[in-house]
Amino acid sequence: MRLNRDTAIAIVSLLICGALLVSTFQMPAPMFNQMPATLWPRMIIGPLAILSLILLVKAQLSEADDSTPIRSFSDWFSYYKNPIYCFALFFLFLVTMPILGMLIGGLLYVFITLNVLGGWSPQLMLRHALVTLFFVVGMWAIFTQLLGVFLPEGILLRVY
Amino acid sequence: MDLFTNIGLASAELFSFTTMALMMLGTLVGLLAGAIPGFTIAMAVVLVLPFTFAMSPVQGLATMIAVYVGGLSGGLMSGILTGIPGTPSSVATTFDGYPMAKAGKAGLALGIGVWSSFFGGIIASIVLILIAPQLALIGLEFQPVDFFALVIFALTVTASLAGNEMLKGLMGALFGLLIATIGSDVVFGLPRFTFGIDEVSKGFAFLPVLVGLFAFSRLLNDVRDPSSASKRLGGEQSANVVQIDYIASAKVVLSHWTNVVRSSLLGVFVGVLPAAGSTISNILAYDQAKKASKEPETFGKGAIDGIIAPEAANNATAGGALIVMMALGLPGDIMTAIMLGALLIHDVIPSPSFISDEPTIAYSIFLAFFIANFMMLFLQSITLRGFVMVTKVKMYMLTAVILFYCAVGIFALNNIGYDMWTLFIFGVLGFVMRALGFPIVPIVLGVVLGQIAETRLSQVFARGDGLDVFLTRPWALFFILLSGFSIMFPSFQKHLGKKRWTRFFLPILLIVLSLPVFMMPGYIRPVIAGLMLITGIVQLILRLREPALKLDQAPTT
Repeated sequence: MRLNRDTAIAIVSLLICGALLVSTFQMPAPMFNQMPATLWPRMIIGPLAILSLILLVKAQLSEADDSTPIRSFSDWFSYYKNPIYCFALFFLFLVTMPILGMLIGGLLYVFITLNVLGGWSPQLMLRHALVTLFFVVGMWAIFTQLLGVFLPEGILLRVY
Repeated sequence: MDLFTNIGLASAELFSFTTMALMMLGTLVGLLAGAIPGFTIAMAVVLVLPFTFAMSPVQGLATMIAVYVGGLSGGLMSGILTGIPGTPSSVATTFDGYPMAKAGKAGLALGIGVWSSFFGGIIASIVLILIAPQLALIGLEFQPVDFFALVIFALTVTASLAGNEMLKGLMGALFGLLIATIGSDVVFGLPRFTFGIDEVSKGFAFLPVLVGLFAFSRLLNDVRDPSSASKRLGGEQSANVVQIDYIASAKVVLSHWTNVVRSSLLGVFVGVLPAAGSTISNILAYDQAKKASKEPETFGKGAIDGIIAPEAANNATAGGALIVMMALGLPGDIMTAIMLGALLIHDVIPSPSFISDEPTIAYSIFLAFFIANFMMLFLQSITLRGFVMVTKVKMYMLTAVILFYCAVGIFALNNIGYDMWTLFIFGVLGFVMRALGFPIVPIVLGVVLGQIAETRLSQVFARGDGLDVFLTRPWALFFILLSGFSIMFPSFQKHLGKKRWTRFFLPILLIVLSLPVFMMPGYIRPVIAGLMLITGIVQLILRLREPALKLDQAPTT
């Protein structure tokens, strides 16, 4: 069996289809002759599984593509470094939201993201700080003061 | 109510100071977004959506339409001045706009572009107001089974949206449908695919999924390469100060009125077709203008018609896309999918009866599209230089700020943190799927259409209709048959002129579709069906005889 990207996609897709199909058997039976909750998902899972099988067959029959470089983990990490950092920072932004709130958390998140993506030289940091202050405070003010949205203020702001 | 009464009612709602100010702001934002290369109009409309929550439906939709119209026109500025199209819908504008600007006529090129966009939009508005209500009357004949078949047809269109990755496009669409099933079922609200997580029983709100899949993944894809992340969006070229002579350029555009009308109507037609959009219409219109020109050799060197055609067509396409959305309640592309989501957020359920049930909102949308074109013309003429300056922003700065904005906007939707986590999860998912070669648009369409399809199917069940209604109801049969051809269409396009079977595709399509049209009530449609059948048979006979003729003419050896 040839292991390539599309083979992996097809196998994962088939596994998802299998798990969801099993899950449909645990749903309650329909009442009053109405449409069962399982019908529509099964109508989707069936074709999806067939298409995944076609993808699997196509991936197996296709000739090996030498133009796609095989990357080591470190190569892969450096290739996707920026998006990974962004996702990690966004994750931290969400996790710390109850403590830092939208304003402080947002200031930290945008400032750090700008520096991670743009660079850490003093001149750049100053520029990033100004951009952060202008946009984060500006947006926070628009939503809270103009649109009347209650954004999470966080434990820190509540205490002080 | 007649057309003028409806327009009067809508005018009273639309022409308030607040709504006009919001539309002006929306047009400005659209122009700004359109001017920034790589920043799509769809992304701009998605990002404006959270601001509309606090507005009335008319205000919210008018603002979004203003962004849409502004975005379609904004792309021409960077395209003409820097040679880099702001949006894919203005790619063909650069073919002649940039050479004309380089030849020292930047002002004339911009003026022609602005006026062509304006006239394209106005012609499309008129067609929209006249056609959409008529099309909606046909839609009123639809029963749940017809709707379900229509949604199935809309889903098959994703095959065309997927480009070279048709298989992954179809898988993406089904995956989008599956996402829409998570939460609870539409009939009894029973939990489905929650895997024991209570929060998931609410399902996923449309907007966090849309922003996550579409904007989030796109932005992170743009900053993946550190060197491109630090580059200026509009390139390093400087745009010289230009003066536009609006009167002279208007005269030039009006003297080429046949091209304006032809390109606009072509744009509207492309807009009506599902999955086609301004990305296609601007290139098609350019091609048609070149073919119709008496001086085709001037194209690519600064031809006036080469600027008029794509700009008139791309603005007109928006009108065509709105016709289908308004009349049938179905999205044909990503833009109308977002508009549909916006309608749902404002508790307006789009359907064929939408125009007759909600005439004020419907005609406000028509009028907003009309007015937004005037606003675009006004704003573009006074703020041109500023827009070009905006294209000098660095990509990573835009990304960091917009990611934060996404979080704030999504939180504002329901004031719950769960939506922000949905955004994050679908952002990761969208990025991974994009990296694995899945086109994102079919997934988004799947999410939008999933619940509509399930609701209609449950109605078919509730009525006790058997499966045979798909064959006995003319409209259902029409859409089911059309779906089959729709799936094959990308293959037809790819092999057109190369494989023998492509010659029979259109005649067979006409013959097959004549059957459900013949089953429709009244006299006109059966007559149309007869004409379709005769045309199809004649075409088929002619195509069958083609190879024989060629063989006859081939020299004997």
